[in-house]
Amino acid sequence: MHDPFDITDCAAGAEALAVLEGVGRSYRSGAVAVDALKPLDLCVHRGDFLAVMGPSGSGKSTLLHVLGCLDRPTAGRYLLNGHDVSRMPDRELAEVRNATIGFVFQRFHLLADESALRNVELPLLYGGVPRAERRVRASEALASVGLEDRVAHRPGELSGGEQQRVALARALVKRPRLLLADEPTGNLDTAAGGRVLERIAEESRRGMTVILITHDPEVAARAGRTLMMRDGTLGHP
Amino acid sequence: MNRRLLSVVGEGLLHVVRHPLRSLLTAFTSAIAIAVTVNVISLAFGMQEDIAGDVDRFGRNTVDVGLPPALAPGMPRPPLGAAQAARAAAILDGLDPLIVPRRQRASPVRGEGQTESERLQLVAAPPTYLRTLNIPVAHGRWLRSDDPVGAPGTETDAVGACVLDGAAAERIFPQVAPAAVVGRVVALRVEGAPRRMRVVGILSDPLRYRELFETFDEGKGARTLTSSLLSFRNVYLPEATFGDGPYTGISIVLADGGAVVEAQERLIGVWADARDLASLSSGRLVVFARGQWMDALGASTMQGSMIGNLVWMLIVLVAAIMISTLHLITVRERYDEVALRRCEGARRSDIALQITVEGVTTALLGGLAGLPLGYVGAALLREIVQFPFRFEFRYALVATGVAVFLGLVSSVLPARHAARLQPAQVLSRRLT
Ligand SMILES: Nc1ncnc2c1ncn2[C@@H]1O[C@H](COP(=O)(O)OP(=O)(O)O)[C@@H](O)[C@H]1O
Ligand SMILES: [Mg+2]
Repeated sequence: MHDPFDITDCAAGAEALAVLEGVGRSYRSGAVAVDALKPLDLCVHRGDFLAVMGPSGSGKSTLLHVLGCLDRPTAGRYLLNGHDVSRMPDRELAEVRNATIGFVFQRFHLLADESALRNVELPLLYGGVPRAERRVRASEALASVGLEDRVAHRPGELSGGEQQRVALARALVKRPRLLLADEPTGNLDTAAGGRVLERIAEESRRGMTVILITHDPEVAARAGRTLMMRDGTLGHP
Repeated sequence: MNRRLLSVVGEGLLHVVRHPLRSLLTAFTSAIAIAVTVNVISLAFGMQEDIAGDVDRFGRNTVDVGLPPALAPGMPRPPLGAAQAARAAAILDGLDPLIVPRRQRASPVRGEGQTESERLQLVAAPPTYLRTLNIPVAHGRWLRSDDPVGAPGTETDAVGACVLDGAAAERIFPQVAPAAVVGRVVALRVEGAPRRMRVVGILSDPLRYRELFETFDEGKGARTLTSSLLSFRNVYLPEATFGDGPYTGISIVLADGGAVVEAQERLIGVWADARDLASLSSGRLVVFARGQWMDALGASTMQGSMIGNLVWMLIVLVAAIMISTLHLITVRERYDEVALRRCEGARRSDIALQITVEGVTTALLGGLAGLPLGYVGAALLREIVQFPFRFEFRYALVATGVAVFLGLVSSVLPARHAARLQPAQVLSRRLT
């Protein structure tokens, strides 16, 4: 497997999906600047399955937000799918997120008042997909996580594991190139977490690029490679 | 509009439906504001328009020449008679003037069979007098040139003819329906001697807001002869009733309204004895166009309606602040939702649009509920305080527009706040 920290051939290679060139993110709180992410090079190939581990507060989520175009780096350049997204205007970033990136969060982040189906439809709605097609694709995505009989349920009527599978269906329904998961099993018991993880691994096997943050070494073991975040610096474990 | 924007609008509408309590609270605030708006607009516009209608009945094309009302002792009394009427006609040559002289006295007037008498103005004028006004005869007929003047004395059978203003009829015959006053006899005094006159007609009463007019008139201190005439509490008598002494005033009706100003200027400029309203106590004849007096009246009621408009605008402002605050608090509870929508591809403008749709929808729904509320409130007030409310469909349109505006304005801050949220910050606060 390629070295993810070597970007010398990365930008040119057709197999590179995400390239960070000296990307850093610092926060300014008052007079003090906090380097949540120290400048780093990273090369993610299509089909890579990376796990990121590290202590709390080390910068894992910050990295994921930058990779997900939710946050702009304060230093360096980020090429996603060949485009420099670190300088893209906000509205184009929204389109990139909508078309290219799927998110799964520890706390599910489902719309509490909406059915599972409507939750899964959401990214398609912002993608301008017609209603009928949204229905069909969202139902399929729910079926693909084994929730075909929970379509009309609201999050409050579902177990934690089921909620996270709805969230996963929402991430997968737009067929993203890049799936970003921030401690997706952190709030689940082993069995429920296992089902979610199995579904993510399945997408990885089919060629989806996955970056997953976890505290659990067993979860990390499912990934092709594990990276370690310490104090804003990404390294080998 | 493209499909994505339509969907975003749909998300806003859905949110309103999914949170009925929250929406109701917002809508309720809007409903009250709109109810007040409808109320005040019905009052202010209604009164304004009614008064404008009243004022137009005073005869906008009429210029009056009269004796100053406040002649100081020893001040020379300018002559006003047939010679002066002819002079005025000559000065206004070419403007096609209709010259209507009148003699006017105050007298106690009592209806036969009634116990109380009222002190009223007696106006003796030719039949053309009615053309100085723009009011119809409500019952019976107007005076004719062959109407009898009657003979002095209480026991005589020689009864004269008269026409009463609607308000005069009401005062003299308080218990009698106006139509039934026609044919009755009133007792009054002509040059000190008692005289009986049979009522041949009643004029319609143009003054719905009599109190207001009179307050205005007192306030201006402009109790001119004409304004006493235009209080419409007069008894109109045949021209010959007071013999052929001097006139109290001359009214000049111009066929063309545009000629009024010119007529007034000509009279003042050419006629040494004639002056405008500004010199009421100069001992000269006063010339003024009724339009001026009416415009002053219009301006003062306009002030009243401006105060009314200020009231509803203030209330709408308070409602906007309240709704805005409510929305802001709501948005603060929805950080996660907003961040999630942004993750899934919502633009800042989509978020702002959704919040605005929510705000406008609730304000509009509340406003629509407030319309009948305001109407009922206005109707109730009309019953209780007898104020001149008038409700028209276009006031409802104005109020609906105000509701939409209220929704828009109160959404500005919440929408901006929501749109500016940084999704990464929201998420990391939870996920550290
Ligand atoms: N919005 C922010 N403002 C200031 N500091 C922040 C912000 N977000 C994260 N940080 C800081 O950046 C560091 C890394 O945070 P984070 O990436 O959330 O860590 P992890 O996900 O590894 O627990 C922490 O020290 C955190 O306090
Ligand atoms: Mg984290």
